[in-house]
Amino acid sequence: MQKYSYSIITVGEQTVNVVFPNQINIKENLYIQHLNQLILARNDPGILASIPGYHTLTISFDIRIYDYNKIFKLIKNILEKKSFQIQSFHKRILEIPVCYDETLGPDIQDVAAFGKLSVKELIKIHTQVEYFVYMIGFLPGFAYMGTVPSQIAMPRLDRPRTKIPAGSVGIAGAQTGMYPVESPGGWRLIGQTPLKLYDAKHPKIRYQSGDFIRFKAITINEFKAIQDRDSSGEYQIKISEVGE
Amino acid sequence: MRGIEVVASGLATTIQDIGRIKYQSAGFPSSGAIDHQAHCLANALVNNEENAATIEYCLMGPTLKFTMQTFIALTGGTVQPQLNSHIVPMNQAVPVHSGDVLKIGNLKHGRFGYLAVAGGGIQVPEVLGSKSTTLRIELGGFKGRTLEEGDLLPTCDVYTMPSLASRKVSVETNNTTQIRFVKGPQWNLFSEQAQHKFMVQTYHISNQADRMGYRLRGKAIEVSQSNMLSEGTVLGNVQITRDGSPIVLLADRQTTGGYPVIATVIAADLGKLIQFSNQMAFNFVLTDIETAVKELKQQIKKIQDLRKLWQQKRYMEPIGPARKAALKIGKLF
Repeated sequence: MQKYSYSIITVGEQTVNVVFPNQINIKENLYIQHLNQLILARNDPGILASIPGYHTLTISFDIRIYDYNKIFKLIKNILEKKSFQIQSFHKRILEIPVCYDETLGPDIQDVAAFGKLSVKELIKIHTQVEYFVYMIGFLPGFAYMGTVPSQIAMPRLDRPRTKIPAGSVGIAGAQTGMYPVESPGGWRLIGQTPLKLYDAKHPKIRYQSGDFIRFKAITINEFKAIQDRDSSGEYQIKISEVGE
Repeated sequence: MRGIEVVASGLATTIQDIGRIKYQSAGFPSSGAIDHQAHCLANALVNNEENAATIEYCLMGPTLKFTMQTFIALTGGTVQPQLNSHIVPMNQAVPVHSGDVLKIGNLKHGRFGYLAVAGGGIQVPEVLGSKSTTLRIELGGFKGRTLEEGDLLPTCDVYTMPSLASRKVSVETNNTTQIRFVKGPQWNLFSEQAQHKFMVQTYHISNQADRMGYRLRGKAIEVSQSNMLSEGTVLGNVQITRDGSPIVLLADRQTTGGYPVIATVIAADLGKLIQFSNQMAFNFVLTDIETAVKELKQQIKKIQDLRKLWQQKRYMEPIGPARKAALKIGKLF
């Protein structure tokens, strides 16, 4: 497997960034996810948090337990071990139902026009791709996913909306994502998922960075039915696992 | 239920601990007390562990009625708290009894204050390993929201406090106007001129200042307009936004960000910055990681030493029934 060059830089007295080549690349990001998993698997009380970015892993540690030399060494040891590789490329794909009705995705006509497509064709293209979750940020469960086919990769709105309903699915250039809670935002909205992606009472996020997500088009009637089942805890996200 | 009844809510009053640190990779802001140091000191004063939940308030403290017996301590921004209309000191463990009313009042200096309650703090349920409140997503704390009149906060009865008489500290008023920082991950994306400007000019905290971050007022800093890939954020990161103004990222910050980070305020100086008023003029001064680590360790040690001292004194100065009676008698007049 390919090895990626990296550097470790200090961000503050309790944090380092492991920085990989500056690009959006699934293989490189999987490499970062793998490093993250290995660090988390240590269950090390000295590691406080680690946040994967597109091409970085931000690691915070307890200075009562770790100093810089120790943390540098720890990361270096993991990355430079011969056995460090993404063992048998394993893929977890989650199916997220999305209703592309115009009442739920107010920008769908614009995005279709951008790609010189009918709405039907746009939906077909958006649901064909397995989107990779590079990172989660902005809000709990806000997944930064790519890569949107260039045909429908419309840039974000010039003027962000002040209010976007929870569950909205949008496009911002090559990225696609879902708004887990109502918030302001500038992504082009093409649909909405009936799933409650964030629930303050059960605040568990059902996907993580490194997963793949495929959208499944549903009708407005199915939308309501799934919403009911999901809110009573009966809806299970379809997950398929592919190993090589 | 026994505990603390909220008589008047104060401003932006929430339950906080040291934060929901482990779930940042899923996009959960860490939250926690915005003035970590003041929160930890308050807990140490009442013999709580540092992660016990305290009450945090902003500019105006709440008025609270106790329906149980315990010990409290107030730290952070300067207030003139009154217990049953008698002024009680800050930065000191104070016994309270059922029926007592504590009026914390307005902050004379600083922005955020803390009330710690002995017996493990405010007993709200842990959510994702923390009792901290994140208002934006209605998570944790007391029903995910700010405290309101009539709320009843569960706490535990505490009857004794080891070495109560010596549980006080004098917190030096810090007159420094220098905030130290280490170079941020994108320091080199800025021109030498921009770096220089960041270090020599005087900044003020703007009106856009909350638990998420403080936007600063100052002359704009030249910043590259090219897009940066988002990466994880850290407490104290100083982002430079498109218009050239800095934002210091604080407790409720987004877990990832796409603006270049020119600097990170050292943890030991963050409490100072957080408490500055809008009128306070200050500068950023470059320091190195070694100094930042040394300073933070010193801060941690200070509180550890106090804890040790109070533990050792435990059997030398017990609080006797006479003192308790005296307090009760005092209340009759």
